[in-house]
Amino acid sequence: MRLIVNGRPHDVVAPDHETLLLTLRERLGLTGTKLVCGRGECGACTVLLDGDSAYACLTLTAACAEQKITTIEGISIEGKLHPMQAAFFEHDALQCGFCTPGQILAAIALLSQSPNPTEDDVLYGMSGNICRCGAYPKILRAVLAAAEGVRDNG
Amino acid sequence: MARRFVTTKVEIEGREETKIVELPSRNPEPWGDDAVLHVVGQRTLRADALEKVTGTARYTADVQRPGMLHAAILRAPVASGRVTKLDLAPALAIDGVRGAVTFGDVPGVKIDGVPLMDRTIHYAGQPVAALCADSIDLAYRALQSIVIEIDETTPVLTADAALEEGSPLVWPHGNKHRASPRVSVRGDVDAGLRDADVVVTREYRTPVALHSALEPHGAVADWSGGRLTVYESTQGIFMTRREVAKAFNVPHSSVVVICQYMGGGFGAKNGAPASTYIAASLAKQSGRPVRCILDREGEQTDAGNRTSTFQRVTIGAKNDGTLTAISVDATIPLGVGGWLASPGKIYHELYQCANVRSSEMFVFTNTAPMASFRAPGHVEGAFGLERTMDVVAREIGLDPLELRRRNYATRDQDKDREYSHKMLEACYDQGAERFGWNAARGAPAADGRVRRGVGMASLVWGAGGGPPAYATVRVNRDGTVDVLTGAQDLGTGARTVLAQIAAETLGANPADVRTILGDTERLPFASNSWGSITTASVGPAVRVAAEEARDSLIEAAAEMMNVDASDLESKNSKIHARTTDKCMLFKDVCEKLGDVMIIGQGSRGPNPENTALAAFGAQFAEVEVDTETGRVRVLRIVSAHDSGRIINPTLAESQLEGGVIQGLGYALFEERVIDPRSGVTLNASLHDYKVPLLPDVPEIDAFFVNGADTVANHTGAKGLAEPPIIGTAPAIANAVAHALGIDVDEIPLTPWRVLRQARGDESYAR
Repeated sequence: MRLIVNGRPHDVVAPDHETLLLTLRERLGLTGTKLVCGRGECGACTVLLDGDSAYACLTLTAACAEQKITTIEGISIEGKLHPMQAAFFEHDALQCGFCTPGQILAAIALLSQSPNPTEDDVLYGMSGNICRCGAYPKILRAVLAAAEGVRDNG
Repeated sequence: MARRFVTTKVEIEGREETKIVELPSRNPEPWGDDAVLHVVGQRTLRADALEKVTGTARYTADVQRPGMLHAAILRAPVASGRVTKLDLAPALAIDGVRGAVTFGDVPGVKIDGVPLMDRTIHYAGQPVAALCADSIDLAYRALQSIVIEIDETTPVLTADAALEEGSPLVWPHGNKHRASPRVSVRGDVDAGLRDADVVVTREYRTPVALHSALEPHGAVADWSGGRLTVYESTQGIFMTRREVAKAFNVPHSSVVVICQYMGGGFGAKNGAPASTYIAASLAKQSGRPVRCILDREGEQTDAGNRTSTFQRVTIGAKNDGTLTAISVDATIPLGVGGWLASPGKIYHELYQCANVRSSEMFVFTNTAPMASFRAPGHVEGAFGLERTMDVVAREIGLDPLELRRRNYATRDQDKDREYSHKMLEACYDQGAERFGWNAARGAPAADGRVRRGVGMASLVWGAGGGPPAYATVRVNRDGTVDVLTGAQDLGTGARTVLAQIAAETLGANPADVRTILGDTERLPFASNSWGSITTASVGPAVRVAAEEARDSLIEAAAEMMNVDASDLESKNSKIHARTTDKCMLFKDVCEKLGDVMIIGQGSRGPNPENTALAAFGAQFAEVEVDTETGRVRVLRIVSAHDSGRIINPTLAESQLEGGVIQGLGYALFEERVIDPRSGVTLNASLHDYKVPLLPDVPEIDAFFVNGADTVANHTGAKGLAEPPIIGTAPAIANAVAHALGIDVDEIPLTPWRVLRQARGDESYAR
């Protein structure tokens, strides 16, 4: 089957029960998407499917044929950090970094749904992503700052 | 001849160790409060943040090796018994399964006293066998074909059961650790209690907490020509190398341990775990690289935990608040093994009191072994001590903060020695001011459904660091700088702060300096990154190495510029003449040197003699309690810390916030639950073991009181990773007690516990 990942086609042969997470990590070498719980509890494997956030560990590869799949490796724009990546970088919104790709993609999906989020929108919109290091206060700041940056820049 | 090796003491995780250490090549002037520093103290951005936000930081589970196989572990489904039959053949017959191991295949290896994949079952979740296959999916499916029969016996699951007369034995020598009871006495507690105007006794329970690092334990092992390379998620590459080399009977020089990035550790990743030996033995057997990463259930059941405790605390005080006696009897179930983290120690340290006694009963049970977990012992002990301090304050009608101020410890009383530097009083002052303590504590109690309360707690933690630690600083031909040391960055920021120390010392642009960690083959030794010691241990070694390199660079430039080296200084990656405008860029000096290298070597010197080194802090919490539902919401936390000089305030504050949030989880949500009959963990997932999420996080004002500790070491820095978790839970519990006007004797403060304690109704059963 053909997957469109980060704008590029990939022809893969995967068993019907294989998760998108396994396909991305083990077949396509896109290891930025992390396996933490494997059952939709932590958000570390969050990717975008046609722009919406999805847990790659609960998504079957076989169901993704017609969709645009975006991972952390695919969000930089012409070699420049995506504004959400830049916001996480500048606000120190990470410590060990293991949850970071999932946090960033969840935040991008959140802003695409509500471009002017309130603090509460971010609190609940990001509540599916665990950060065990507890970078939460800075994640909140980064997401709000990124939202503001998007508004200011148009 | 002056002695080159001296004896010194180093405290790690509450344990003081004696080391014989070589004196460093030089002993720089300490950076005091008046030192003019340009890079140290700056909010430099995290050195490895770019890799982390782009998904290109490669963690252990991301490592791919040619021909790599995937391992899965078969775990005991029961907590006690003996394997009577184990047949791997049906699994090995499956196409794509490449190897299997079980008891006896890696002889001599014990983990917390349990032989690796032992035939005897000591706890539910214990590894019994493992196999490797072409894919991880196949490996897990093949596990189901292993035939196993177990003769089950009755497990011992609680400390009470273990100590019961006639209880089954967890170990042949008994259910008590041979050091139990461990008693430590200062003064005369009975006399102190006789002198007291008020004596209070309370009992407390704290839960088993799980580290729950998002990156599980795991390794990729690869043998080549009798040499083994292990990619491992570990806080200690050298400790892992030592253990693996011993297990496989190969010299240290034939084992390489690599860990570039790690997704959290929190104390649980300090030596080689079962997964490492399994990966290495399967790799040896199959002749191919093997990756063995724990699944989440494995990580939550068998990767270490903070022990639960039962504490019976008695404190005596005069009516003016002077403490006359402190006594604690603690029972600590270790699981089947582990080490003796002390909940009693903080009772001896935190307050001035002539008469202190702790008695610790360490008990074995048929549950998974404990491991260090962020400030092990102190976190548990602080809950009992700080709760009881609040009870004393209430009994004598004194403000809780005032009671603590009146019992300010000016010395390390157990060892009768000075602290190198102590600014706890400043933490009280500034913390109370920023929290608005007096107004908040004095506010009249509300009687509605939702009650507010405030509470506070103090903390101490032996975070002075010490030797041994080594670093090399290399200036490259283009003027960039490599700092090499075998320490680890768990997400703490070690990479960043060590580069800052090197840049400061060298006079280099911070952007030109990079820290290289995590490779036993290429880097000089640094100890495990544990005990909040990395900055204070490795930082001084980096400074010495950078000074050596700087001096070489200056002398080389002096030769090129035809001036005296003493007329030169380095700044902004340039060598300047002090009095003229002559100047050379680092890169021009190095280019001119060609391949003649500028290298500095540094080591960590001994700690000051007969001096206690510690970090301190005071934490304040405001909560809201719903008396109908029992739900606690933490509204805000102020966390004031003395950790000496802060190398990078942004990263340090990030760590404080993280520690506070883990402490909040410990106070409100986190507890491992095991089935009281089978001993199986019932909440071995991130859904059922609840850790804090973004909406749970209150407003946090975490900050440092300024002041370099120039006695501790010449950077003035002490540790800060563990302190913020110590006082958080007692501060929250004290706030809940204040809100409801009750005693809080047990955490986590889940709704049923709050209702039980608020209503005094035992039918809210556990």
